[in-house]
Amino acid sequence: MVGSLNRVMEESGEPQLDAKSKVTNQLIDFQWKLGMAVSSDSCRSLKYPYVAVMLKVADHSGQVKNKSFEMTIPQFQNFYRQFKEIAAIIETV
Amino acid sequence: MAAELEGSKSLSGLLSGLAQDTFYGHPGITEELLRSQLYPEVSPEEFRPFLAKMKGILKSIASADMDFNQLEAFLTAQTKKQGGITPEQAAVISRFWKSHKTKIRESLMNQSRWDSGLRGLSWRVDGKSQSRHSPQIHTPVAIMELEIGKSGQRTLLLQDLYKSKCKDLYLPVWSLTNGLHLEAPESEFLCLEFDELKVNQVLKKLSEVEESISTLMQPA
Repeated sequence: MVGSLNRVMEESGEPQLDAKSKVTNQLIDFQWKLGMAVSSDSCRSLKYPYVAVMLKVADHSGQVKNKSFEMTIPQFQNFYRQFKEIAAIIETV
Repeated sequence: MAAELEGSKSLSGLLSGLAQDTFYGHPGITEELLRSQLYPEVSPEEFRPFLAKMKGILKSIASADMDFNQLEAFLTAQTKKQGGITPEQAAVISRFWKSHKTKIRESLMNQSRWDSGLRGLSWRVDGKSQSRHSPQIHTPVAIMELEIGKSGQRTLLLQDLYKSKCKDLYLPVWSLTNGLHLEAPESEFLCLEFDELKVNQVLKKLSEVEESISTLMQPA
């Protein structure tokens, strides 16, 4: 089993991990905005902050796409906390 | 005003029904449904202005996101108005707002969120690997999957119905929804790969966001 794995790696010349890049994207750019919703059609007194994010990602073929989404403040805190966890782990691996 | 309208017994149920329609966006809560279920003795002609009045009051309270002082002042003024509400009705409305305020506010906030939200996040870190034959030592990589989609507010709706004290509305609403599960809108799954450098770049940006939030939240 190990022998055949090595052969695959030699033939492809690429690390086995790159097989995933066919379905994963690379992050090219990360833009953010902190907004405050003040008032709306249905509610004159909204007053809630939110974080809007715009990701520029490239797929395996190099095609670039924009993906945007919003987060509430608690969602952002969770997002940030998870990234810190990733950073701590990736550092030790 | 018909005696039945002056009573406060069915008012709680009416307010629940109004909330389902006005704030939670639940379809099918018609004027006729509310009248026949909650005020069957009252004629449609008498019911209509009554419903409009209660709807107006509830919308005003929600729109201004009234705190309890504002609420008391507002409701007291309504009891003093010609064609206003009775003190008993004011008490019912007050109780209703106090217990539903958070949910209604969340619903209104969700109504104003038109962009996609972050509905889920999962990740793993793949470690270094080495091959006897390859001289390269491969760097660790973080794989992250983001679930991006429209607000899933509707999935909360049926839990609210269960908890609602307005049992009268269960049966007709049940038949309208055809079952327990309201489909949440479809999500997009975005899979991203980060090396250590990229993780730290993003982390730096996130700390900038955090700083902005702190500045915003500081008392003026």
